[in-house]
Amino acid sequence: MRRLLVALVLCFSLAGCEGDFNQSIFVQPNSRPLVVNKERPIVNIPEALRQENWKGNQREGSCVHATMIGLLRWQGRYNKANKWRRTYANGEWPTGLATKFDREGVRYAYTDKGDVKFIEWACRTRRGCGITIMGGAHMVTLVHLDTNWACLLDNNNVSKYKWIPRGMLIAEWKASHGWAVTPIYTPAAPLPQ
Amino acid sequence: MKRLLLALCVLCMVFAATTCFADKVNGVLAEERVINLPDDQGKWYISVVGDTKSAQYQTILKWFGQDPALRKLKNQVRFCPVTLNSTVYKTRYSMNVEGLPTVRFQNSQGVVIYEAAGKNLPFTAGGLYGALANNMAKAQSRPILPWRRNHAPPGPCPGPCPQPDSDPDPDPGVAPDPEPQPIDNGEEPEFEPAQSSLPPLWLMLTMLVASVGGGAFVEWRATYAKK
Repeated sequence: MRRLLVALVLCFSLAGCEGDFNQSIFVQPNSRPLVVNKERPIVNIPEALRQENWKGNQREGSCVHATMIGLLRWQGRYNKANKWRRTYANGEWPTGLATKFDREGVRYAYTDKGDVKFIEWACRTRRGCGITIMGGAHMVTLVHLDTNWACLLDNNNVSKYKWIPRGMLIAEWKASHGWAVTPIYTPAAPLPQ
Repeated sequence: MKRLLLALCVLCMVFAATTCFADKVNGVLAEERVINLPDDQGKWYISVVGDTKSAQYQTILKWFGQDPALRKLKNQVRFCPVTLNSTVYKTRYSMNVEGLPTVRFQNSQGVVIYEAAGKNLPFTAGGLYGALANNMAKAQSRPILPWRRNHAPPGPCPGPCPQPDSDPDPDPGVAPDPEPQPIDNGEEPEFEPAQSSLPPLWLMLTMLVASVGGGAFVEWRATYAKK
């Protein structure tokens, strides 16, 4: 009976540790070394670095800016990201964002023609990118793309990743103006393997 | 002639104006949109993790900025300085470094090729470069043992997992953003051959032959020349 109770307690204590999508990140500073077999998604932005969407002064969502802020943090540009959060908000278009990037001296690349090679490159190089969905009404972060699967981080719910079939993602993206954009800096180093 | 001079002046003014506008936008140096995307997924990683207040950490960063060999290497890899007070350290690296400061060298897949921390770090820039070069050479000459085999496996999470910070600190007091690295297609870094402190082999052989020959000649003369 005692063993059964101990087993039950252990089960409950471990239940909350199930990470999403093979994540093995436990924030326990100075605890035992963290190891991973293979980091998934490739662009594994820590939860504390993700930026939630917010409403700007024009009562518009700031999904594009939230996405860029998360990517800037992932690529080590914390001060730039924080300045972006304080400076920009509301809806955004490719040309408007390009103008702002130029103004702030941010190195970036984008496509607005649904070029799949762009999003493949962004994920292959571990930078990730923002992509439009929902007919162009929303931008989310593409954090993984392989031959079968894509993974999204939605700034309306940054607590978890969302995995969808690759074909479905590409079709959705292309039907949403095919805009993808990313800053070009150095992504965080992989977890040790 | 006057018209020609006038046309030249106008051309110069237009050129000057274009240059000014191309260089500065609203007083900030503008970087152009990157057209040729860097195919740099094969680049390796060097992470330097430490406390900004630590003299040893600052010294190591200085080595990568001032030592010619390390500076060249820095531009061939993805160089990631990580500070102790940054969120990325707390959430990604605090649980897998064994001391501070740490220098970690990983291949493009994340496999650790070399790692040293604290007192185990080399004392000089040359020593660090040599250690990185040697470990890369070793890694290329034999199958790489995964980092995990040399370390204790992670235990179960002892308690409830921490919740995400829904509103990250907008100004966590992190160090200034590092200088952007060059955009290029990169693969594995190339190390320069180690410079030996010994003279070249041919010189040593020549000296050996000359010494033996000279000695033999002196002995021969001492023995037979008087006769």
